Amino acid sequence: MSLQIDTAIHLSPTYRLQWEKAQDMFVLLYPEGLIELNQSSAEILQVCDGKNKLADIVSVLEQKFSTSGLESDITHFLNTALENGWITQST
Amino acid sequence: MAGSLKAPSPPRWLLAELTYSCPLQCPYCSNPLDYADFKEELSTDDWKRVLKQSREMGAVQLGFSGGEPLVRKDLVELVDYSHELGYYTNLITSGYNMDEAKIIELKEAGLDHIQISLQASSKELNDFIAGTESFEHKKVVAKLIKKHGYPMVLCVVLHRQNIHQMKDILEMAIELGADFVELANTQYYGWAHHNRDQLMPTQEQLTTAEAIANEYQASQKGKMKIYYIVPDFFEGRPKACMNGWGTTFLTIAPDGLALPCHSARQLPNFDCPSVRNHSISEIWNQSKAFNYFRGDDWMQEPCRSCPEKGKDFGGCHCQAFLLTGDATNADPVCDLSPLHHVVTDAIEQAATSAAEKPLVFRNSKNSKVF
Repeated sequence: MSLQIDTAIHLSPTYRLQWEKAQDMFVLLYPEGLIELNQSSAEILQVCDGKNKLADIVSVLEQKFSTSGLESDITHFLNTALENGWITQST
Repeated sequence: MAGSLKAPSPPRWLLAELTYSCPLQCPYCSNPLDYADFKEELSTDDWKRVLKQSREMGAVQLGFSGGEPLVRKDLVELVDYSHELGYYTNLITSGYNMDEAKIIELKEAGLDHIQISLQASSKELNDFIAGTESFEHKKVVAKLIKKHGYPMVLCVVLHRQNIHQMKDILEMAIELGADFVELANTQYYGWAHHNRDQLMPTQEQLTTAEAIANEYQASQKGKMKIYYIVPDFFEGRPKACMNGWGTTFLTIAPDGLALPCHSARQLPNFDCPSVRNHSISEIWNQSKAFNYFRGDDWMQEPCRSCPEKGKDFGGCHCQAFLLTGDATNADPVCDLSPLHHVVTDAIEQAATSAAEKPLVFRNSKNSKVF
């Protein structure tokens, strides 16, 4: 199982991304579990909306942060997210 | 209340033990042996206050547990309220007395997930351990949970009498469509401590079970997540209990006692505070009980100078108390503990004396004896 570049990415239905005011961070919630996300992970997961493919996600975030060269870091994170079941790709 | 040290991290996990009532009689229940003495349950309004205050503090994972939480008439109302507050809501249930209408009603109230327990993979053993005929109904309920789109955790507590069914248990989990399987070796608190000799597995049983767990973890990768929780008696190192005392977990017992760990009620001179008299913020930040094992000033040797103390925090204090009489001792499951022999003795004693004693089932009649 590895990331398909031509398929849209969305958060798995088992997981919920949520802003936590008390902790000042995004968390990923799932049955009896909680993952505290750093800012870059949270930024990536927020644009896994079921429409964006890898290239779209890279471009959205590069634009948002007025930078370039994020593809390798984003691909690495999304592969980990896929491996952990946080995201899925439907064809 | 006593003054506190530096500000602790906020609670992330709230375990709401709504009631000690339960139609099942599992002899490994972690509820206190004398649970029948705590009859005065919190009201719906008390629970709403607890839920609101805890959420404001930072709690986001919420488990409705017990006993059997379905026994509470206000469960749907509490789920609905918690959902509105932004909790991720988990129902931890035996499935007993659950029906499709209730599953739908809870879904509409915003329940996020259901954990259902089974006691074994065969009707005969399940119903024996549960002390109640429940096997076929539980399987029907598990299928209904999946039918209505919930993520489902299937939980089976493992012990000497069912651990040989590992393979069948995992096959059953696949058949029922579980998303997660929690195969938790019994931890010896409450009723399990009392029944320890009859529940303690042998090393051979554990070796076989672990190999099966590993095999299924590999073959089910990406489909069903399997958590196999090893028994700390056989591990040589203690678990990092509660992710560190008073750092993450807050348990509220049915009578309103606030506990840093669900076994903490038994610790002597702890003065666990009650939500009837104190706010969650006072309890979490200032109470003696929640501050007691924060940091490492409380530690004795060998923990105090141990390079691993930041990893396991000295292990489980309730277990240290149960097995050595002093909660500030190192958890004796650690083989660096000078009292580690109490654990190896317990394993040996279980191997020789298990057949001589009957299991004591968890029910009100037996509870009144303690």
